[in-house]
Amino acid sequence: MSLPLPVSTDMGPRTEQSLTGPGPSARAVQDQGEQAGLRYEGRNLEKSFDGARVLSRVTVSFAPGEVHTIAGENGAGKSTLLKIMAGIYQPDSGELWLGDERLSGLSPRSAQHRGIYLVPQEPALMQSLSVAENLFVGILRRGRFRFNVDWAAMRREASGYLQRVGLDIDPSQKAEELSIAQQQLVECARALVHRCTVIFFDEPTSPLTATEAGRLFEVLRALRSQGYTLGFISHRLDEVLAISDRVTVLRDGAMVMSRPRAEIDRQELVKAMVGRELAARERVRPHFDASGGKEMLAVEDLTSQPHFEAISFSVRAGEILGLAGLVGSGRTEIAETIFGLRRADRGTVRVAGKLLGHRTPRVCIDAGLVYLPEDRGRHGIFAEVEVERNVTAGIIPRLQRVGPILKPSAERALAMQATAKTAVRMHSLGTLIKALSGGNQQRAMLSRWLLAEPQVAIFDEPTRGVDVGAKDDIYRLIAQLANEGLACVLISSELNELTVTCDRVLAIYEGHVVGELRGPEVTDAALGALVVGAHLK
Amino acid sequence: MSLPASSVPAANPAASSADRRGRAVRAGRQETVWVVALVALLAGLLAYFVLAVPNFRALGASGVLGLSEQFLDIGVIALGEALVIFAGEIDLSTGAMSSLAGIVMATLWQQGLNIWLATVLALVVAGLGGLMNGVLVTRFSINSLLVTLGTQFIFSSVATAVGGNTPPYNFPKSFVTLAGTGTIGPVPNQLVTFAVIAVVMWLLMGRSRYGRGLVLIGYNRAAARYTGVNVERTLLGAFVACGLLAGVAGIFVSGYYNAARDDIGDSLLLPAITVVVLGGVDIFGGKGRMSGVIIAAFLLGFLTQGLLIRGDSSLTATMVTGIVLVLCLVLKIGLDRRAGVHLKELVQRRFSARRAPLAGGP
Repeated sequence: MSLPLPVSTDMGPRTEQSLTGPGPSARAVQDQGEQAGLRYEGRNLEKSFDGARVLSRVTVSFAPGEVHTIAGENGAGKSTLLKIMAGIYQPDSGELWLGDERLSGLSPRSAQHRGIYLVPQEPALMQSLSVAENLFVGILRRGRFRFNVDWAAMRREASGYLQRVGLDIDPSQKAEELSIAQQQLVECARALVHRCTVIFFDEPTSPLTATEAGRLFEVLRALRSQGYTLGFISHRLDEVLAISDRVTVLRDGAMVMSRPRAEIDRQELVKAMVGRELAARERVRPHFDASGGKEMLAVEDLTSQPHFEAISFSVRAGEILGLAGLVGSGRTEIAETIFGLRRADRGTVRVAGKLLGHRTPRVCIDAGLVYLPEDRGRHGIFAEVEVERNVTAGIIPRLQRVGPILKPSAERALAMQATAKTAVRMHSLGTLIKALSGGNQQRAMLSRWLLAEPQVAIFDEPTRGVDVGAKDDIYRLIAQLANEGLACVLISSELNELTVTCDRVLAIYEGHVVGELRGPEVTDAALGALVVGAHLK
Repeated sequence: MSLPASSVPAANPAASSADRRGRAVRAGRQETVWVVALVALLAGLLAYFVLAVPNFRALGASGVLGLSEQFLDIGVIALGEALVIFAGEIDLSTGAMSSLAGIVMATLWQQGLNIWLATVLALVVAGLGGLMNGVLVTRFSINSLLVTLGTQFIFSSVATAVGGNTPPYNFPKSFVTLAGTGTIGPVPNQLVTFAVIAVVMWLLMGRSRYGRGLVLIGYNRAAARYTGVNVERTLLGAFVACGLLAGVAGIFVSGYYNAARDDIGDSLLLPAITVVVLGGVDIFGGKGRMSGVIIAAFLLGFLTQGLLIRGDSSLTATMVTGIVLVLCLVLKIGLDRRAGVHLKELVQRRFSARRAPLAGGP
């Protein structure tokens, strides 16, 4: 095949065999080329993580000689689906069929034995080993004495495989010396070395430049023509349309469409991917004019390089302020710095007029400022702890006690009251929180902070990993709290979430506030332009 | 994907969500079940020794209580060690700390200090040693296993250096009685001291603000920080308490033998950790009950002493202890149905991997 060879002129010496055929290794490569893949199906796959449903009854079929794209927004369940197909996760229910055979208890290793390989989002090469070693790990070629390794043969063979994926690099180079794009292709070559015929790519293009992505697609096309079964994840429209033979769209863990590429156009694809989200939802509450209210949170000149710089804003009682921005724009870092989880280079934070000097989470909570973290599983819940203690965890110093001894009855009453207010559905307060659904876990987290009787609350992606129905409940709850006088900061990457709840939105782009929208100015379109940095052009 | 990586191992892939719910509720009671099981095991053990071992029966009630002097040093260390393990850390320097505390006490007394003042100062030294461990772990974020592996050598070598060739012995009678071999009626003084410490620790873990924070740190340190728990200070407290209690154990042993030695702690560390694990505390932090640790101290102690009295060699006693520990841990995994499923799944995976032919192999 004739692929443009990526590049760099300072490569080490190549072995002659890799450039000219037909050496023994080249023949092996040729044999590989004629091999046809098998149809690989997942039927009715279901999967939940800690109570949050990620996939519900998804049926998908990957055919040989086809590039089958799984498209969908962030959190739609794309990666989970491919990870189940590659044996990394076990499905809660559903079946995997490779050709006519049902696979059960699949592990990454047994999947590889069956010829199924997943090229992960972040290439997982062993950085300090050579490319050849990475390719042949597990099946090192033995030399004449059986206990030694035939390095020369391995390097020769490696060159052949690398060429098939359009890589012109020295196989004895260390993996760490390669660019991400090159490492990805090495992963792909590794799938070929291990004679895998079903190859999945988990969002391979997100770290790549357009040129690099183009190269990857040429490799995909070449493999397709050789009858490989290829699966591919993307949420970039153009890519999906350019490379796919068949497109399956996931939304909120369910399959909304699976059709041949030829039958769909751009608009249909957009509609399927974004779906309900695009239809403007109604506002949770009318726009609230807070201009007369008391200033509850005042942030001034807050800076923490390299994440963000000179952030100033204030929130008044009863107001919901949105912070819009892409992942990595610095929104979460700002919130964490305000809450004392990170050190600021400079800048001040006042809560209800009081300057918080040396901020720690405890100081902030006691001053009436709480922060609902973005990553509920890691920073929010104590999975193996009862709901009751999860809910009271934020106010341990304030729990009622006799001398130094805590009073369980008082604690229980508090937890009862707080969980009732947010309508947590659970078996009892003694239920472990991990047994609750994502939405109920989030309600429990909200009850935790209600108990702290805050004046200001920062909600960071409050509806992440939450069922659709529960999302609306959480918006309403936040609106209700604001109506009661709570000053709210809402951080979200879902623009629509901000437009339906916020009275005012600050757009953050690369650590700077790049715009402020008030009341009716807050629309998806206006926000969308700001968060991607459209003002800069 | 937006899912945190940490949720993956916790998730149980093979069960429907309804199933999970039921099991998770039960898992909450599992700790209680374990404590009850330990109590039953202890009762059964004592019943066996009383009924089947004449020498043990001959000791009588006070004799049996007196046996506790042989193992309460381990128990006291275990109480402190448990605090550290609850928080997901470990302290390997406790044994060396016991030796050091004993030596410091004895040497100060030999220098002419009042024995009780010397004891207090020795405990202060032990607490400071714990503080040093804690500071190294929290401020410099070095793994506690490595920190205490290192400080262990420091403590024990300082003990040897201070103690010299013939460490002091023959302490005043009042000290030996109170800290060592004296009794109140049939109850050894050491047992009374241990009981007081045990009750304090039990209340601390189960019913105090401090204990609540400590356990949350053990379950999920990051979440504890995000929830306003002062992680650093709480951990420091645990290490100080652990050092202090190791010091108490050192005083116990010195009083019991009426002599200080620089190697008394060598045989205390591993049994103490064994007690904590047998007591049901998760070695990775969080799960467990202090009451379980207290009962496990007696269970392990009486098991060893009973076997010795029955005429078994100490080698046999050690082996039986090992067997009991392993059996208990297997049993505990069995109790945890979630882990049971994991095991089944593991086996399944193994087999499917073996059955799998190489796709398109040469």
